Amino acid sequence: MVTTGMDRTRAPRRAGPLAVLALLVAACASPGAVTQAPTTAPTTAPTTAPASGEAPSGSAAAPSESAAAAGPNCGTDPVTLNAYFETGFDLPFKLSDEFTKQFPNVKWDIKQDQFTNLMSSTPRLLSGDNAPDLIRLPSMVSLVKDGLLKNLDEYVTAFGWDKFPPAQLAQNRVAADGTRGSGSLYAAGLNYSLTGVFYSKKLAQQIGMTQPPTTVDEFEALLAKAKAANLLPIMAWNATASGGGLAFPLQNLMAAYGPTDPINDWIFQKPGATIDTPTNLTAAQHLEQWVKSGYFPKDVNAIEYTDANARFGKGEGVFMFNGDWQDAGYDKDQPQGVGFFVFPPSQSGGKVAAMSAPLTYGIAAKAKNADCAASFLNWVATNEKAREIDVAVGGSNPGGPPDLPVPPAAAGSVINETLAAGAQVGKDNGAMDFIANATGSIFAQGWTPELQSLVGGKEDAAGLLKAVQAEYEKELSR
Amino acid sequence: MVGWLFVAPALVMYGLFVLQPLVLTVQYSLYRWDGVGPATFVGLANYADVVSEPRLIETLFNAFRLVIFFSLIPVTLGLVTAAIIQRVARGWLGTVSRTVLFLPQVIPLVAAGIIWGRLLSLQGLVNELLTAIGLGGVTRAWLGDFDFALPAVGVIGIWVLLGFCTVLLLTGMAKVDPALYESARLDGAGWFAEFRSITVPSLRYEVGVCVTVTVIAALATFDIVYVSTGGGPGNATAVPGIQIYILAFLERQVGLASALAVVLIVLVLLVILPIQRLTRGDA
Amino acid sequence: MRVSRSELFAGRAVLLVLVAITVLPFISIFTTALHPSGDVPPGLDWPADPQWGNFLEAFRVANMTSLLVSSVFIVLAVVPISLVISTMAGFGIGLLRIPGARWLLLLFIFGLTLPFEGIITPLYFLARSMGILNTRLAIVLPLIGLFMPFAVFWMRAHFVNMPNEISEAARVDGASTWDLFWRIHVPLAMAPIASLGILMSVWAWNQFLLALVLVEDPSQRTMAGALGAFQGHYATDIPLLSAGTIVILLPTLLLFIVFQRQVISALLQGSVKG
Repeated sequence: MVTTGMDRTRAPRRAGPLAVLALLVAACASPGAVTQAPTTAPTTAPTTAPASGEAPSGSAAAPSESAAAAGPNCGTDPVTLNAYFETGFDLPFKLSDEFTKQFPNVKWDIKQDQFTNLMSSTPRLLSGDNAPDLIRLPSMVSLVKDGLLKNLDEYVTAFGWDKFPPAQLAQNRVAADGTRGSGSLYAAGLNYSLTGVFYSKKLAQQIGMTQPPTTVDEFEALLAKAKAANLLPIMAWNATASGGGLAFPLQNLMAAYGPTDPINDWIFQKPGATIDTPTNLTAAQHLEQWVKSGYFPKDVNAIEYTDANARFGKGEGVFMFNGDWQDAGYDKDQPQGVGFFVFPPSQSGGKVAAMSAPLTYGIAAKAKNADCAASFLNWVATNEKAREIDVAVGGSNPGGPPDLPVPPAAAGSVINETLAAGAQVGKDNGAMDFIANATGSIFAQGWTPELQSLVGGKEDAAGLLKAVQAEYEKELSR
Repeated sequence: MVGWLFVAPALVMYGLFVLQPLVLTVQYSLYRWDGVGPATFVGLANYADVVSEPRLIETLFNAFRLVIFFSLIPVTLGLVTAAIIQRVARGWLGTVSRTVLFLPQVIPLVAAGIIWGRLLSLQGLVNELLTAIGLGGVTRAWLGDFDFALPAVGVIGIWVLLGFCTVLLLTGMAKVDPALYESARLDGAGWFAEFRSITVPSLRYEVGVCVTVTVIAALATFDIVYVSTGGGPGNATAVPGIQIYILAFLERQVGLASALAVVLIVLVLLVILPIQRLTRGDA
Repeated sequence: MRVSRSELFAGRAVLLVLVAITVLPFISIFTTALHPSGDVPPGLDWPADPQWGNFLEAFRVANMTSLLVSSVFIVLAVVPISLVISTMAGFGIGLLRIPGARWLLLLFIFGLTLPFEGIITPLYFLARSMGILNTRLAIVLPLIGLFMPFAVFWMRAHFVNMPNEISEAARVDGASTWDLFWRIHVPLAMAPIASLGILMSVWAWNQFLLALVLVEDPSQRTMAGALGAFQGHYATDIPLLSAGTIVILLPTLLLFIVFQRQVISALLQGSVKG
């Protein structure tokens, strides 16, 4: 029960549900022993990429060196890549169009679905007869455990991905013991998103904000000013269907009042990790204070992700915590009217931190065209045109080799601000995964209901952290 | 056995797609299984979880709270409405109101959920009307409010089920012997006395059907909650159907989902059987 | 029945209020659907420039043509088969009174109380093992099974009330059981069969949970299942979502208004018997 948007940061969130046949044979005399016939290939109608005027005009570029020359490639015979994309995001469609333009022998059979549905169907899709060559991955660990994802280590050497900044690939590595962050590579990011605070330039000016706040205190002073000026300080979403969006400001506050390492440890399930720390309590108390001060919409518990963006786009709310995947949307709703800053540290001059996650795509272990799909992933990271599309449509840093420049976006676009902010976060080594990704259902069963309770006055800051930690331990004990 | 050949196809379909899954549900409920890997027999541990985990047991409480809105109110209000139609609107007004009241019953529940999700939002019609009559102070996002989300979902249920109950009870009323009313009138009975002593008792059977259908609708709600609140805020509107769906298809806890399903099935039976007994006199 | 003037007035007033409350949501979603796409219109507001095109737009973006085809396919697959086999079963149980008929009947009645979500989990795994997951068959086959309790019960109620003389007369003429069923009793049962058909069509059309769980691709689903997906995609665009909702509920609404009497009496008889 999740919509898009947050999914970006939440990528490897729930243990991807259901399905898979091969492994079941082992489990006799148990429910798993139901005899499994191979599933038929889903008969989804192929979808063509939606047209949109925002993509850079595609000049038929010559096949890029990196994809064609080095390592595995798509060859010259006609090949049809079987792909599963996430509904609502143009980026992969635009990229696949461009790829075909450059490599005309490659055609696409693209199915799309909502993120929620992908979460439940991925295991079955991966294990089916017509396993996808390329698929948007909602989660990884369980898929790796079940042997459904292709180990990409051979491509790392073949394409020289080992020269990429290691942090880029770390989140897509899974170790033999099932922990994320190290081990073999099982997916690649089409790009690397960043979260922070968006603001309406017009409303910010109205409350006298001339430059982004440099401390939490300054930010809170701005919130108070906005409230006093009868403006909604923060637009946010917190409805069950989208999940608790208040986790964004909460995690930002956590990183402002404490170090990021313990947060990442907690997300990566390091033994003994806890979210219920004194600095996190301080952070949660600030959030609670914001709620009590009326800084969020009165109906935030009923606002879904898409509603929140639409209302922000119509000028409701000075600030909004969100990620750069929404850049294009903000540019469209309020051209040149939206700014961005990374959430400030508690002390002036302190290090900044932000949630950042790859837009994860993987290859089925049974994929028929794995080499071609891998060369597509490499092409996305290295081809100039692809990187331009990545930035212009996706709004995020394309990653890839450190020596390749990040293509600039259109002047006045908020994309340029998020890209610049990304560099700052990188410099401070402040990238975090998202606290909603810690376990399969920590978001749905922990953060979301608890944050909703905080809004509803049914829970306080201390209780929130305790409850989430209890849920976390319960889930890990299963 | 020619006769059995006639029954066989229906029995096969029923057996394959209802009874077999039913048995499997019970079987799954005794295992810990993620739907993919091997399953582990855990005995009744899943049932222990169902009754001990607040987020699971609460769904059952919520379902019973919904009975007030899906059953008690539509049946009571339906009785009153049917009596009104019977007495003062025998002509076109009766026909029109019967048809209109029945409309929500034929549209998909999903559509009802979407329509009301909008009506009950902060900027929705409900709050507009409240403001118009001077109750601006109570406006809120009804489906996002801890105390009001469940009643708000209940209101959707009333809207859907009122017409059904009204029309059903109306057909029952039409069968009541008019002589009963005449004699009551001679005794000087008023409107309410008549309603209480003649109408309601003669409708025992129809009321029983109404209660049965609406109670099942309440305990087995899924569509409306799924589209209007998703079970939130917190667990305020989480019902067993939603939790089964989440557990089985999003959290991959097939055993736990099945245990909750078995509990739900048994509860529905336990509630329905006495109602049937009461209203039919025999089983 | 004599009714006082004040009662007449008060009663009708209450009735009109109830009717208004029932209709308002429909009117509200209708006026909302006519606002420019992307607006967040107030609850009841006739737009200055009604956007009738929204309905076409919703039709287009929801891929409505293929949805209609899909839903019609599901209804056409489920309803006739269900009608035939439930009529046969009703005949066997109610008229032939085969041994064990009472137990069979109880077995089917038990199914009437069964919440769909109680068995949805194993249905998913069953469909998966049968290889029909993600195809319309995954909706069609379970739906036929799930309709059986009501349908058999319904048809049995008809046959159990048929006078024995009819069958006996036919037997004397040397008709086989099949002839008896097909030539004599089915024609006599057309009224309950038709009502049952209408009922099951509406239910199949509106079926949501099976579609949601068993079929990923909205264009292979029922109308109601597709509406759920449509909501996911166009949640922000309230006028468009409203228009889509109307387009999707219109067929059953029209079916109801045309066959009003039959639907109401069918639903009611059905539940009374049930």
